Amino acid sequence: MPSNTIVERVVADLLKYPPFDQLDPAVLKDLAESVTLTYHEEGEVIFSKGDSLKGHAFMVMKGAVRLFDSIDGKEVLVDLCDEGDIFGVRAIFAHHDYVLTAQVAEESLLFELPVDKIRHLLETEPRVSLFFAGAFAKSVEEIEHTLSEAFDVDRRLFGEQSCNNFLQNETLEVKPVTTVITCPPDISIQEAAKIMSDRNIGSIIVVSPENHPLGIITDTDLTKKVVSRPGSIKERPVSSIMSSPVYTISGGKTIADMVMLMVKTKLRHFCITEDGSPDSPVAGIISEHDIITSEGNNPAVIMKAIMQASDRDQLKEQRNKTESLLQVYIGQEVAVHFISNIVTEINDAIITRAVDFSLKELEEEGEYKCADIPFCWLSLGSEGRKEQLLRTDQDNAILYAEPPEGEKEKAHEYFLALGRKVTGILQHCGFVKCPADVMASNPVWCQPISVWKGYFSKWIVTPEPKAVMHSTIFFDFRPVYGQARLAAELKQEIFSLIAKNRGFLGFFAKNALQNPPPLGFFRNFLVEKSRDHANEFDIKARAMMPLSDAARVLSYELKVPEYFSTAERFKRLGTLVPGMKDLGAEAAAGYEFLMRLRAVNGLANKSSGRYIKPETLNKIDRQTLRNVFSTIDKVQKTLNLRFQLDYIRD
Amino acid sequence: MISLLAKKIAARRCRRGELPDSVCRYVKGFSGPSDLAKPLGEVRFVVFDTETTGFDIAKDSVISVGAIALSDFRINVQDSFEVLIRRDSVGESEAVTTHGLLRKDLDEGREEQEAVEAFLEYIGNSVLVAQHADFDVAMINRILQKKYGFELFNQVVDTASLAKRLEKGPYYNLAHKSGEYRLDVLLERYNIRLYDRHTAAGDSFLTAQLFQMLLMKAGYAGIRSLRDLLLK
Repeated sequence: MPSNTIVERVVADLLKYPPFDQLDPAVLKDLAESVTLTYHEEGEVIFSKGDSLKGHAFMVMKGAVRLFDSIDGKEVLVDLCDEGDIFGVRAIFAHHDYVLTAQVAEESLLFELPVDKIRHLLETEPRVSLFFAGAFAKSVEEIEHTLSEAFDVDRRLFGEQSCNNFLQNETLEVKPVTTVITCPPDISIQEAAKIMSDRNIGSIIVVSPENHPLGIITDTDLTKKVVSRPGSIKERPVSSIMSSPVYTISGGKTIADMVMLMVKTKLRHFCITEDGSPDSPVAGIISEHDIITSEGNNPAVIMKAIMQASDRDQLKEQRNKTESLLQVYIGQEVAVHFISNIVTEINDAIITRAVDFSLKELEEEGEYKCADIPFCWLSLGSEGRKEQLLRTDQDNAILYAEPPEGEKEKAHEYFLALGRKVTGILQHCGFVKCPADVMASNPVWCQPISVWKGYFSKWIVTPEPKAVMHSTIFFDFRPVYGQARLAAELKQEIFSLIAKNRGFLGFFAKNALQNPPPLGFFRNFLVEKSRDHANEFDIKARAMMPLSDAARVLSYELKVPEYFSTAERFKRLGTLVPGMKDLGAEAAAGYEFLMRLRAVNGLANKSSGRYIKPETLNKIDRQTLRNVFSTIDKVQKTLNLRFQLDYIRD
Repeated sequence: MISLLAKKIAARRCRRGELPDSVCRYVKGFSGPSDLAKPLGEVRFVVFDTETTGFDIAKDSVISVGAIALSDFRINVQDSFEVLIRRDSVGESEAVTTHGLLRKDLDEGREEQEAVEAFLEYIGNSVLVAQHADFDVAMINRILQKKYGFELFNQVVDTASLAKRLEKGPYYNLAHKSGEYRLDVLLERYNIRLYDRHTAAGDSFLTAQLFQMLLMKAGYAGIRSLRDLLLK
């Protein structure tokens, strides 16, 4: 029998770190008894990518271990683990080989935790399984892979068909498109664009006479480098605008490999050549689209089901499916703009169907006859900015054209009834009511355009700090159903009101500066500039709002007419504000990182994801957050300078 | 040579049935030649510690023994050992409180003979490791001598001497600065987290972690076989 004193020592060590800190010490005895301690010098490799899985996972008790992937010979750091971090969990969930290499970064004492004991804990302790399903996905090595495997462990939480399909496919090869369309470097941009549109393809590879890839032209290149530029450059050779060199890889890459590559390189097209180098003939092409759709998790299927739904229950079902799709995408580290576009499309489709259903019901009830008056359904706040990944509160409104004289009241009644029905359906689909009642079912926010113009006029002409704060969500309105021209008219009115009342932007900007970013994290505390510490981090108020507020102010100042997301606003601002190009790109990327972090946190905790416990963040997330905080600081300084806010501080 | 003779005598007593079976199994474990050429990764080390009523080898006695094994450079929690020894005169000694052992615990302990037989069974012919090993080995030997007329046959490594040897070379005179090689000081120097000290098992676990690091460093210093380690 092992020494009780020693076993208790090991239990005490395990109890210091999640997920074991949640457990009754008695439960840990069995695991502690089977722990093995190993000591490693700097530089030692614990396991390598491609090694078969060991019988245990590892916990760092002292020192540090770095985990990296190697893709075509290049090292990509994935995580850095130190005291209390667990790695090598792939051994618990998977049956394939390690996908990362673990190397000792500082001399380390490791606990080896046998997988059968951890599996036993997973079965008997829900809190442990939650940790492995949620926190582990973020905090431990195989970020791209573990989450999906963890889905399999806790079916009560995540059990959806789509995930299982995905699991089976994880190590499947991505089938490249082998009928690659290529062109020589000297044809004109116009000719290349014609080939692309004729063949209905999003990219074309520019090749040498030996068929070696020289560069690539994508839709984005055409938009950015041709369409948006003044003057005609369509006659120039494609070589003048192609992205070069092309990222080349060898064939036989798995979905997991490709996702990893996509995340790390931030590229969306990869060219397969015979030997993987740019100096060999083109053999195929893999695009982001091929990677995403190869899992069988096709958002198009959900969209189709929504468009064909005949009742609200079906809408609800599809919205629930979207949530599990979201989990897979987040787990796969798919680009946030891609995910938010899909989720927004789906949300918009649900709203569209909800309005369709409601209009039909109103018609059948036959009490009102105002269907001829044009109206527009507006999404507000984060949904207006196309940033709602998780289902948060509904914020919406109805804007309708001026009703004929004498029908004002009847029209109001009618649209209010519409608002009530639609918000009811949305609530049924899991979008909870807005606590502040900013919804189309509220008589105040269901109004003809004249009243809406009056609202904005009041906010802009006589701004009060408090009113400005409460009105920000309205400035993010976006038409989702009906006559978009009503929304456009309202936006133009706002621009002209702002032009006549410059003082408003000062208030607006000042509101955006209410929250200076924190400095960073130390251990499990958020460190504030004011030297306060907090053990919970409000990602929305402390990081996302300062950025989205700043982007909104600048977009209104510069009369950006599109209904943009915060990231899109920053990217546009980068092109509009001299000297803001880099900061704009940085802020856009930072904002997308925050969206992802919030979604991951929300999914793990079944919450809105707003409050994050610092101890659940891994090293890389902390590091990135710290960088985002400094970006926020730069954005705020820019805003401050632009509006000279120090003068109007109270 | 003395040890060879002692082994023979013990083996003869076993054949005559004068010693308990478990003790005879221990003795039998040393019947073959010791394999000094073995690489360190193939050796089973048992790191142990004794708590005693005092520091006089002649008068004081062992209250508890704790140990943990290290094989293939790994410390295996499963392969650990702990025994408390019951004695009647325990209340008289001050060491009782400093070791955190209450009379009650010791009352629950095992008879000295039973305890030491369990220990022999656990260690077998492994290489013993202890901090200032001479003292602990002497304490165990006194019991063995009294009960069975022989002493430990195992090879012994002293962690203090090993640390000194790795840090200063084999000919440094430890006597001058023995303070630098106390367990607390070594643990701190090698950055091993101290928890509550002063139980035999707890100290053996800490000593094992120290020994694990020393073994790794020994490997870099060209010490690869048991012979290299024991300087034989």
